[in-house]
Amino acid sequence: MATLLWLQTGACSGDTMSLLCADSPSIENLVRKGSIEILWHPSLSASTTGGLGEIIAAIEAGRQSLDILCIEGSLITGPYGTGMFDSYRGRAKIHIVEALARHAGCVLAVGTCSAFGGIPAAPPNPTDCTGLQWDHDRPGGLLAPEWRSRTGLPVINLAGCPTHPATITRSLAMIAHALPMELDALNRPRLFYGTMVHQGCTRNEYHEYNVEETQPGGRGCMYFNLGCQGPGTLATCNSELWNGRSSKTRAGVPCFGCTSPGFPKDGDLFRTDKIGAVPVHLPLGVSRGHYMAYKNLAGAAAPQRVKDREMEP
Amino acid sequence: MARTTLNIDLNRVEGDLEFQVDLDGRTVVDARCVGTLFRGFEQLLIGRAPRDGLVITPRVCGICGTAHLYAAALALERLASLPVPPHATLIRNLCLMAENVQSDLRQSFLFFTPDLVHPRYASQPLFADIDGAFAPMRGHMVRAALAASRKIVQLVALFGGQWPHSSYMLPGGVVRGANARDLIESQDIVDQSIAWYEAEVIGDTLETWLSLDSVDAFFAWLEAPGHAASAIGLLTRFARAIGLHRTGGGSRHFLSSGAWHDPARWQPPYGDPVSLLAAGIYDADRGLREPFDPQQINEHVRHSWYRPYPGGRHPYIGETVPDYQPDTDRYTWAKAPRYGDRVVETGPLAELLVDGDLLLRALLASEGANTWLRQFAPLRRTGLTLHLMRQQLNDLAGQIGSPHYLPPPDNAFSGGEGFGLVQAARGSLGHWIQVADGRISRYQIVTPTAWNASPRDSAGRHGPWEQSVIGLELADPADPIEIGHVVRAHDPCLVCTVHFVGSGQRHRYGV
Repeated sequence: MATLLWLQTGACSGDTMSLLCADSPSIENLVRKGSIEILWHPSLSASTTGGLGEIIAAIEAGRQSLDILCIEGSLITGPYGTGMFDSYRGRAKIHIVEALARHAGCVLAVGTCSAFGGIPAAPPNPTDCTGLQWDHDRPGGLLAPEWRSRTGLPVINLAGCPTHPATITRSLAMIAHALPMELDALNRPRLFYGTMVHQGCTRNEYHEYNVEETQPGGRGCMYFNLGCQGPGTLATCNSELWNGRSSKTRAGVPCFGCTSPGFPKDGDLFRTDKIGAVPVHLPLGVSRGHYMAYKNLAGAAAPQRVKDREMEP
Repeated sequence: MARTTLNIDLNRVEGDLEFQVDLDGRTVVDARCVGTLFRGFEQLLIGRAPRDGLVITPRVCGICGTAHLYAAALALERLASLPVPPHATLIRNLCLMAENVQSDLRQSFLFFTPDLVHPRYASQPLFADIDGAFAPMRGHMVRAALAASRKIVQLVALFGGQWPHSSYMLPGGVVRGANARDLIESQDIVDQSIAWYEAEVIGDTLETWLSLDSVDAFFAWLEAPGHAASAIGLLTRFARAIGLHRTGGGSRHFLSSGAWHDPARWQPPYGDPVSLLAAGIYDADRGLREPFDPQQINEHVRHSWYRPYPGGRHPYIGETVPDYQPDTDRYTWAKAPRYGDRVVETGPLAELLVDGDLLLRALLASEGANTWLRQFAPLRRTGLTLHLMRQQLNDLAGQIGSPHYLPPPDNAFSGGEGFGLVQAARGSLGHWIQVADGRISRYQIVTPTAWNASPRDSAGRHGPWEQSVIGLELADPADPIEIGHVVRAHDPCLVCTVHFVGSGQRHRYGV
């Protein structure tokens, strides 16, 4: 059984809500099965007054072992480096996180805020916040790039705004059962960040033939004009549906790239930045010349049923 | 008797809560709600494209992101005087209703009821039943409520792709209209949710439950074995056995900006009342509802860590400039919203009182506002919300094939101002936006918890939570469970504005 402490820093609780939406496995079943013992979770713990303070003290004193430390929320260093925009018992949360991380078997950044800084770190970053071990796409956040947990791991970044429900509970189960977890260059587990959001999008029929929407609300692809970052974003949104039903891009909401260190991008989130007629950010790894040639041919090959938007996404 | 100060640790709220109370003996004589988180959302919107608020503001709060999205879309529609297809308003309403049901269930069975399973109550006759139903993570109602809350937000995913945090409402409509497949799927989600609510939460039909309209009718209803054993029956009998109907009075004025929008009336020039449930201020002393006037909303910062200004400011001239001043009489990152010069409470109880729920008005008239009633209200509201979801789906059937999005004209958002008000799960939520040269120049958000968790204002008036704990008697100041009951019944959502975290039993004598 792995002990778990979940701490919210500069958070909105969205990742906690996502955790509660997971049903395969659910958090209550992980607990019931004995995979996880929750020492503390802000929404789930029954402990009454003083509970968190006592647990933190016990971990710092080495009386309580901590296997998994989950951090939800950006790490706030303001004002003036004090961290007092976000405090607990008069102590800046960032200092509590640093202290707990020293004792943790592994540290999970749950959500893009704790992974990379996220929305609160968008310009002008009013609270001087950062991610745990990354500041956007630069290595080194609250913790240095070379920091490692007690078991020799960097912070594992379960990015997402919020993180996909199954990504949270399955990662917890994998760690609790000591299953291998390969990480990508941004320290995200490859199993959950080895798929483009674009893969499995039901608008691919339109994307394939270069049938692109210029206004929201339609059936076509949103990549060329409406800000969709699905072809450049790694996440399981379309290979494992949200709430068992759908995904943003299937419904007609552009992918905002929320698992990426650059989230949220500067500029209009509902508009694609372009060079000429082609997006600045091409599908991951694709060369511009080849892509333009492919798109011209694809557009020429588009069947009427697709041009007429007959296909239901 | 020595006067002491107690810092109280409260989790199981959305975020965490620090509450400082001054005790005279065991009686609370003063209270300070301490917001310990500032995230600066209003600053990071300045300079961005107007529609970016649709992506940024849902991230203010993971539990009520749909409400933020709805308010953000309304503010832009008012700014640009955009017509909105009724099809879109029905979908927005359904999604917000689903989110509110999710929130009411999680607040009741994850946040409030765990306190009932406290060792202090072990000798209560109902304790074994309470433990079986409400014990954290293992009680049968806790597990069932988690499953039900997962089910209902599937409806949001159908139209918005995911819950939480999507951006499917746009000024002018929604990204996806309903087809017959969606309608059948949505109806099934709602039907299953109603069947569960009837079987587990009330032990009766929705129709009978919603027709209860007096104190006598309710307590007679509660006598029937099936009703008494339901979740609401257990909660009511136990809460009253431990006296929760005698604590937590609080403010005497209740605010609702009106829940859900009427698809026919949410159209330019947005002059008339547009909500399905009435908006207003309910005055508990006079038993009267006054009309709601958004111009009366103003925010004070006299006791908050922001750059000072005198009195209160309407959100259109509001500012949020942090100015951390520890060791002064300022004590929180929360501002103090007031309605005119009145302290008002918002939330499910307020929403139903203002609309005219006869049972809640009768209970309020007979016993006053109290902790049990405040916790009863969200579970009562869940029934009403599910009933309305069924009606909205019937209306949606008539809209299949009609437009769901009307693209705004070019330059619709080049300049101007607008506001949007919705009833989020925890009460009235407002967004006020100003745009200049196609960029956001000011964005002010007043959340439900900002009203309820507000600190003292310029005139020294306490906020609603502070008011509702002053006068409380604590059996054991080292374990102030009574304060947990009172404050958790208010359904704090601290991430919205503030983030309350507290400490254990630091006594400051002679304060």
